Amino acid sequence: MKEERKHKKAKKYGMVIDLDKCTGCGACMVACMAENNVPFRADESDKLLSITWMRVYKLTNGEPFPKTDVCYLPRPCMHCEGHGGHSPCVSVCPAIATDYSAETGIVSQIYTRCFGCRYCMASCPYHARYFNWWDPVWPDGMEKYLSPNVSPRMRGVVEKCSFCFHRYQLAKEKAFMEGRREVDEDEYQTSCTQACPAGAITFGDLNNPRHAVYKKKKDPNAFRLLERLGTNPKVYYLSSREWVRWAGDNYLADEGKLKKAMHHG
Amino acid sequence: MKICRRSFLSFLIGGAAGTTISPLPWKVTDDLSIWTQMWPWTPVPEDGEISYVNSVCTLCPGGCGITVRKINDRAVKIEGMKGHPVNDGGICILGLSGLQLLYGPTRVKTPLKRMGKRGQGRWEKISWDDAVSEVAKKLGDLRSKGQSHNVGFISGSDRGTTPLLLDRFLTVYGSPNLMRMPSILDSYELTLYLMQGVRALPGFDLENADFVLSFGSGIIDGWGSPVRMFKANSNWCSAGAKVIQVEPRLSNTAAKSDKWIPINPGTEAALALGLAHVIIEKSLHNPVFVSKFSVGFNDWKRLVLNNYDPDSVAAITGIDKTTIVTLAREFARASKPLAICGRGRGNTPGSLDEFMAVHALNALVGNINKKGGVWAVTETDYVNWPEPEMDATAAAGMQNERLDGAGSKKYPFTRCLLNRFPAAIDSGKKYPLEALFVVGANPLYSMPDSKAVKKAFDKIPFVVSFSSYMDETAQNADLILPNHTYLERYEDVPTPAGLTKPVIGLSKPAVEPQFNTKHFGDVIILTAKALGGNLADAFPWDSYETCLKETLGDKWKTLVAEGYWSDPDFRAPAWETSFDTPSGKFEFINSDTGLLPQFTPVKIEGDKESYPLVLIPYDSIRLASGFIGDPPFVIKTVEDTVLKGKDVFVELNSKTARAQGLREGQYAMLNTPKGKANVRIHLFDGIMPGIVALPRGLGHAAYDKYLADKGVNLNELIGPVEDHASGMDAAWGIRVKLSKA
Amino acid sequence: MDSALIPKGVKRCPLWQFVLFVGAVGVVLLWGVYAMLLCWIKGLNQTNMNDFYGFALWIWADLTVIALGGGAFFTGLLRYIFGKEVLKNIINYAVLIGFICYSSALLILAYDVGQPLRGWFIFWHANVHSMLTEVAFCLTCYFGVLTIEFIPLILENRLINRVRFFHHLGHNMHEIMAVFAATGAFLSFFHQGSLGGVPGVLFGRPFAFREGLFIWPWTFFLFTWSAAACGPCFTILITKITEAVTRKKLVKDDAVELLAKISGWMILTYIIAKTIDTLYWATVTVPSKGFALEFFYSNNPLYGYWILFAEIVICGFVPAAILIFKKGRKNPVTLWIAVILAVVGVCLNRWAMVLQVMAAPVLTFESWVMYFPSWQEIATTILPVAYGIILIAIAHRYLPVFPNEPELNPLETIIAEEQEPEEAEAEPLVDQEQELKPAEA
Ligand SMILES: Nc1nc2c(c(=O)[nH]1)N[C@H]1C(S)=C(S)[C@@H](COP(=O)(O)OP(=O)(O)OC[C@H]3O[C@@H](n4cnc5c(=O)[nH]c(N)nc54)[C@H](O)[C@@H]3O)O[C@H]1N2
Ligand SMILES: Nc1nc2c(c(=O)[nH]1)N[C@H]1C(S)=C(S)[C@@H](COP(=O)(O)OP(=O)(O)OC[C@H]3O[C@@H](n4cnc5c(=O)[nH]c(N)nc54)[C@H](O)[C@@H]3O)O[C@H]1N2
Ligand code: SF4
Ligand code: SF4
Ligand code: SF4
Ligand code: SF4
Ligand code: SF4
Ligand SMILES: [Mo]
Repeated sequence: MKEERKHKKAKKYGMVIDLDKCTGCGACMVACMAENNVPFRADESDKLLSITWMRVYKLTNGEPFPKTDVCYLPRPCMHCEGHGGHSPCVSVCPAIATDYSAETGIVSQIYTRCFGCRYCMASCPYHARYFNWWDPVWPDGMEKYLSPNVSPRMRGVVEKCSFCFHRYQLAKEKAFMEGRREVDEDEYQTSCTQACPAGAITFGDLNNPRHAVYKKKKDPNAFRLLERLGTNPKVYYLSSREWVRWAGDNYLADEGKLKKAMHHG
Repeated sequence: MKICRRSFLSFLIGGAAGTTISPLPWKVTDDLSIWTQMWPWTPVPEDGEISYVNSVCTLCPGGCGITVRKINDRAVKIEGMKGHPVNDGGICILGLSGLQLLYGPTRVKTPLKRMGKRGQGRWEKISWDDAVSEVAKKLGDLRSKGQSHNVGFISGSDRGTTPLLLDRFLTVYGSPNLMRMPSILDSYELTLYLMQGVRALPGFDLENADFVLSFGSGIIDGWGSPVRMFKANSNWCSAGAKVIQVEPRLSNTAAKSDKWIPINPGTEAALALGLAHVIIEKSLHNPVFVSKFSVGFNDWKRLVLNNYDPDSVAAITGIDKTTIVTLAREFARASKPLAICGRGRGNTPGSLDEFMAVHALNALVGNINKKGGVWAVTETDYVNWPEPEMDATAAAGMQNERLDGAGSKKYPFTRCLLNRFPAAIDSGKKYPLEALFVVGANPLYSMPDSKAVKKAFDKIPFVVSFSSYMDETAQNADLILPNHTYLERYEDVPTPAGLTKPVIGLSKPAVEPQFNTKHFGDVIILTAKALGGNLADAFPWDSYETCLKETLGDKWKTLVAEGYWSDPDFRAPAWETSFDTPSGKFEFINSDTGLLPQFTPVKIEGDKESYPLVLIPYDSIRLASGFIGDPPFVIKTVEDTVLKGKDVFVELNSKTARAQGLREGQYAMLNTPKGKANVRIHLFDGIMPGIVALPRGLGHAAYDKYLADKGVNLNELIGPVEDHASGMDAAWGIRVKLSKA
Repeated sequence: MDSALIPKGVKRCPLWQFVLFVGAVGVVLLWGVYAMLLCWIKGLNQTNMNDFYGFALWIWADLTVIALGGGAFFTGLLRYIFGKEVLKNIINYAVLIGFICYSSALLILAYDVGQPLRGWFIFWHANVHSMLTEVAFCLTCYFGVLTIEFIPLILENRLINRVRFFHHLGHNMHEIMAVFAATGAFLSFFHQGSLGGVPGVLFGRPFAFREGLFIWPWTFFLFTWSAAACGPCFTILITKITEAVTRKKLVKDDAVELLAKISGWMILTYIIAKTIDTLYWATVTVPSKGFALEFFYSNNPLYGYWILFAEIVICGFVPAAILIFKKGRKNPVTLWIAVILAVVGVCLNRWAMVLQVMAAPVLTFESWVMYFPSWQEIATTILPVAYGIILIAIAHRYLPVFPNEPELNPLETIIAEEQEPEEAEAEPLVDQEQELKPAEA
């Protein structure tokens, strides 16, 4: 009975990414592209035009040889909750083409609703949103691998990480067919989480004490990106390195000695 | 009716108002917006029945289990196979992109015969019958002229039924010239043979080690079986195992390690011996192993104590003395220490000294064939075909010394020396090569000193590629007999690199062959049958599939059902039975040859005056550098500080850059004794001053627009350096000059 | 040839000259139209925008023309609501300029969005939380108001006015213009404000973000204020340019001076508010997000403190000072300087609030990204300018835009000088009296 009531609590899907484990291998990036029919072009080296729902950043501590250090930081959409679901991007979209789900905490993106004003991109400090500047074109024959679960986007609309929402839908359908109300932790996992060979990504319901993320997010080494802005992101990071934790947000010079080393290096 | 101005204007206004009120504009507007949602040029993937095929990825030696998700007859996603002994659900960036290779534009869709000049790209489509009879005719002619040994084969692998069919074919045909692409496995195998007397694969019990000392091995940069290495690395992270990375550049592996120790490149063996010095001097070594299960220790000990004291080693390696001493102590005192070597991904076999020195470190702490240590893993013997009959021609052909000199008096224990092959062809001293066949390898791209390799190829009258993709070698061949890709064919995958337990994987056709390709195994069988005689007799199977089923016997069922077979009872032999040397013990000094762990500097090409800097290659998991080029998804992940447009960046310490007057992003000319290239500068302080680092895996001339003409192929700038002991390529870099472009 | 269309009592250049001029500007217009078609057919890859610069030149142009078009609502407000009668001599032109600015703004939006055919979703699926929704609604409504305000002027064309229906329509519309002026002022207040809200609400972008009042960030009020302050300067500037081009005095000095004076005080109060806003932002808002002011002005090759100085001092306090003092606004040279500076000031402000916002990184591991527009963006941005010039040229030629013109440039002298034979052949007028009346009823 009590269990039932607990279940009714809204879900808040989120991630905890262990940066100590992340090797920067990029498997999460490709797992995402392969799962979500992300297009590609002959030259993808201009990162300001390259669609990568998941992008792995390379951070350096800015110290000279041999004290130099490097850390990789995978950045999906943070599925910001803001205050009361007012994510930076959701509140600005004039056409409700992106929305915050109170049921799952997932920030959706409706490609057929989006008319490409790009206001959401301007609002997102994480650069998690990508515009389809070109028509997506697959080399002849390669459309064969496109998944029917995620519709390819047309030119002129914005796209971003969906926390593989289609997987949630499929899992829910399956649970429903089996007469269950709830989707188990392992039934709904994102493509990047699944693929990560280092097991650096943990995904689950941040509100559910039985999910691994619940405990991990409380780790003393946990932090979120740009928390000070009030975006209230649902992606947490873990790092045992202080400079990495400092790199997660902006600080004034007098707020920390380490600051100078990494700020916008 | 007369249309006056007023009635005309009224008509216009009335019409406009009428149209606005009518549903027409709204309908049109709505339809137009709907049309944008299903533009006919935006594909709509067809839905259908979902199914899964478990198979094995062979895009690298990793041998990961994969699960291919299908919708009807289309493969739509590759995922790591849960529960597979190698990767347990994990997968790498390349494996994830496999479908882009399967369905990609680089596929060779049918057998092709060259029309124009070599490399011109003009091809004639031919039938499989014609293709096979052309090959059989060429081989038959050579054989009848007694020139069977003038045929060579370059193969990506020499393990598993397909390579063994090839081996059998060449034996019965009469050519000793089967060459496998080089890698650190060559050095490891030789080390195990020289020090333990066994022909075996090295296995590393990484999961159980608690102190990993890596001499430049790219643990998370593609070394060994990549996904397994990633997992091991994570486990160390959770379990608190210590990882020490010794290399001149802050690679990803170094960045993830607990301690990065920059070292003068090429001096790793000296460090290993310096550590041995401290361990021996402080008696920190395993007394049981050293006294009861080894020979030659005392002689070697003298050498080490005399020559490799921390001060001398500090001078050679550039690592300070206290670091050396501390490291030695930590290593020896750890409960399960493990030392590994082989730079980066392990493309270059390297200096045998280094492998023996590192292996000696493992021996000193007694972690040979122990939990958390180095194991010698013997090949699972499932290929038991009847010994083939050889006729006189074959016997005569096999009498010839190999073209590359492997197994010769100079290098008696080395099996392949592909690095010496271009020079051998070029000099034409031994005998000419009349025909060369290349399978599962792309030597024109992946062998050092591309110019020399190309020159050698130009001298061979008949070159055949079995590549599934239009790679550099295929592009320059006379005939292409495209193999099925790994997602379209059966193939057994023997124990992947570095595993401690024998595992056999089975690649299965996840989809029907997409084009008019043929399994390489079938091509061997067909060719043998076309040649007739002993050759036909040696290949009694009607197809490769029959051969494979028969060969695997009772394992076939397990393999089809589970996707892999592993030996649950496998244990590394105890020290008493581990060593197959004359003494039956571990040999610190090989009794046959006197080869022992020491430090003989490998001199790289170029003089200091003309070439003041040193170029070292580096590997990145995001750049496939051998077997296969980066598919579009993978190249998309390459950072813009590595590749921008068509330009590749070299990494340079900011101090060195300042001294050279070079700034971030600037164009520069990179000159080496082997060639030159236009590059851009990326300042990175995670690299020793005086060193220039260039990634492997770029600069392809072949494949498609998603990969070709991006950056520079490192192999055009570097040449092999022959190791004094093994003859294998031991080059760790080359001297260079960097000037403003 | 087209004399029948030309207002009574004014002199216009020969038709060939007019056609040549419009044709020349028309070429530029066509270039812009070609670029616009490229953007529509091939998509926004024709621009140099990217995933960092989702907003770029166009959005700047949009915000800017709307600010500059603010002269229309503010002059209307002064004229109709506050009863500044002298402004009747400039109100027509203010409305025309406003009309051009707002139609341009809508046009820019039509090619700025990635899916123009779905543009109407903004109304159909409106999100009440979005400043852009507010902008779209107010902008469209206000454009309607401007059109209504503009129509009577069109109806005053000599030929159209002959039609009785249009004549009365125009007359009646004049009667109720105060209602529209009031509506326009109200709508403008909100949409100018919501444009300010567009950057101001971006709480993920500390450079743009402003705290505020109720649901509105301070930029909401600052944008309205600055549009009211600088819009009239743009009206004056365009008037002065028109006068220079036509080599005629078109508006009486008292109208210009009054507008300039009010503008001066508006600019002064605005720039004081802007200074306070900047100080608060720099000392409270930005540090609370972990940024120091110098980060935004010294970490990149383009956006230095100069931009702040230029906007607030050179293009703020200086024109305010000039316009407030009689001497300053009466002297033609300083008046020119002042209105130009004020216009540049508001352009700079909108530039910073769009482009500098995009350029500045927020994640500590990203860096400043610079941007330069593609020719297609430049051509499409010049397109409205060409369109504006052409519309002004046509309106000036055929509509009684400047009620003072006949008075300030008596026809007799002109005729005496260079004879105008066609004038005599002109058709008899239906309503001679109405013809020469200024735009108010
Ligand atoms: N990313 C990436 N992936 C790659 C590649 C790449 O370049 N990049 N390369 C690809 C290529 S080309 C290949 S072929 C695979 C190779 O991958 P593997 O199949 O792993 O090949 P090796 O590890 O070289 O196998 C050689 C081993 O066979 C054993 N051996 C030697 N001689 C004999 C013998 O006579 N009998 C028996 N039973 N065993 C013997 C030795 O112990 C030796 O260690 O990896 C592929 N994967
Ligand atoms: N980076 C990297 N380098 C390695 C290794 C590694 O793991 N990583 N491993 C080392 C090892 S073990 C080896 S053996 C050598 C490999 O030898 P390499 O020097 O790497 O030879 P490749 O360039 O791999 O040539 C293989 C070619 O086979 C073709 N090919 C690809 N897929 C298929 C297929 O499914 N069927 C057939 N028939 N052909 C195919 C492609 O055209 C490809 O170019 O490289 C060594 N170097
Ligand atoms: S897949 Fe895992 S280890 Fe690799 S980059 Fe992504 S998070 Fe890091
Ligand atoms: S990360 Fe960006 S796109 Fe994702 S919810 Fe937050 S603001 Fe929106
Ligand atoms: S680009 Fe699309 S999702 Fe983003 S704000 Fe505009 S309509 Fe909404
Ligand atoms: S959660 Fe899904 S959509 Fe988001 S980055 Fe991972 S794979 Fe991509
Ligand atoms: S590591 Fe090698 S075998 Fe494993 S998935 Fe990647 S490419 Fe395939
Ligand atoms: Mo290989």
